[in-house]
Amino acid sequence: MPQPATVARDDAGELQSVDGRPVETTGERWRVDDEWWRQPISRRYLEAILAGGARVVVFEDLITGAWFVQQP
Amino acid sequence: MAQTLQPHPRPHLVSASAACCWIPHFALRCEAARRPEFAFQPCALLAPDTTRRLWQVAPLARHVGVKPGMTVSQAIGLCPALKLCESDPVHYDEQFARVLAALAGVSPVVEAPELGRAFVGMDGLHGVHGGPDEQVAALGRAVRAVWPPPAPPAPATPAGDSGLVESPLRLGWGHGKFVAWVAATRAQPGAAVIVPLGTERPFLAAQPLAVLPLDLDTHRRLRQLGVKTLGQLAALPEDAIVAQFGRTGRQLWRLAAGRAAEPVVGRPTPQPISAALSFFSPVAAREMLALALDQLVARALRDPRRSGWRVQVMRVRAELEHGASWLVDATLKDPTADRARLMAPLRTRLEQAPPAGAVERLAVEFTAFAPGTAELQLFARDANAAARAGRRRALRSAAQEIKLRLKRSLLYHVIEVQPWSRLPERRYALIDFEP
Repeated sequence: MPQPATVARDDAGELQSVDGRPVETTGERWRVDDEWWRQPISRRYLEAILAGGARVVVFEDLITGAWFVQQP
Repeated sequence: MAQTLQPHPRPHLVSASAACCWIPHFALRCEAARRPEFAFQPCALLAPDTTRRLWQVAPLARHVGVKPGMTVSQAIGLCPALKLCESDPVHYDEQFARVLAALAGVSPVVEAPELGRAFVGMDGLHGVHGGPDEQVAALGRAVRAVWPPPAPPAPATPAGDSGLVESPLRLGWGHGKFVAWVAATRAQPGAAVIVPLGTERPFLAAQPLAVLPLDLDTHRRLRQLGVKTLGQLAALPEDAIVAQFGRTGRQLWRLAAGRAAEPVVGRPTPQPISAALSFFSPVAAREMLALALDQLVARALRDPRRSGWRVQVMRVRAELEHGASWLVDATLKDPTADRARLMAPLRTRLEQAPPAGAVERLAVEFTAFAPGTAELQLFARDANAAARAGRRRALRSAAQEIKLRLKRSLLYHVIEVQPWSRLPERRYALIDFEP
């Protein structure tokens, strides 16, 4: 399940850290807009490799502005 | 020289009067008997062959639209609180074998076409039990004495009723298996419907087409022809039905018109089967004795009288030097016809309490058997099912230990719900793992 995450971004909006762990590199990005007929879902997903090699998927809830992290 | 042709011997265990004992959703009710929480939760059993589809669905879940055959994802979508449970065919088989044994105490003619449904031949029982009313009452008492098994202590049950706790046995009595079966389907739970001799046709005439063993296509075509009841079907000319539906049509027409009364055909319970071996010189080595036992079990299993039956109780007798003897009785919780499974308790006994001297003669005897239906054979004789049952027991024991230590079960089972979803958290779900 997605867990709330604290992220830091640079001026260009690029991800710098997730929950205090520096981001080494970012991979695929995609957007999901769904279920507009009931509770709309609008998310921007980002695949990130953290320092140490852990791979996570983070997304920004474009409706509330909150960030979440989840296992890919 | 003219030779007199002998007629084929008619099987003795045949009965035209039939009683049908039907316990709908037998497997689900077996689970409800050992899991009190099923009484107030919407629950369903997963299919034994694929865990992605539902097999049997409890009334609370059916009320919200969950149906057998649905995929897990469809069912969870309709009923998010649905409790899913993996099926345990060996357990259901064992429970149904108890029901069949109880029925065999009322009449020796018992036929079990599927799990939860048995026909009992009632010919000639008037003098023993009385009329049809007393006969079905005797059957009801016999079944209720052994099933459902006593439930574990249940938590306080909310007002809701799952429909699984009421007396589920339905009884039907009539001439031939079809009439008895239809009567059982018309009976209220815990009650019986009796169709007196000579009233079969009016009874059947009012029944819907669904009571016939129809495939979907035939059912649809009959509905298109405006046929909704057995009476309407029987009113049509037999030849016309045969022209439309062939041999199946003839059988359906005859059933609907009350002209086909298929008798109940029981099977004789085999007498004890034994196999013995005398040693040239007394044997004390356990390995040698185990090997000899293995051979004797195999020989007894090959006895043609054992065919179609699973062994429930066996006895090993050994004559020892100096006149002593050694005796082992083994009752199998899961009756089996598998050599290795039969040998397991004997090997254990041989290790733990071997004969006190050298053995001169060794005999294996199968003394009690469990009947099998086609479905039971599918489940319990299948080596994979037996292996699954063994694994399940080990898992259950481990899960209970975890629950005892941590006060609650932290084991979950991952199931696919919407594997195609673009939202990762929707693809899988965790359900409580209760082996």
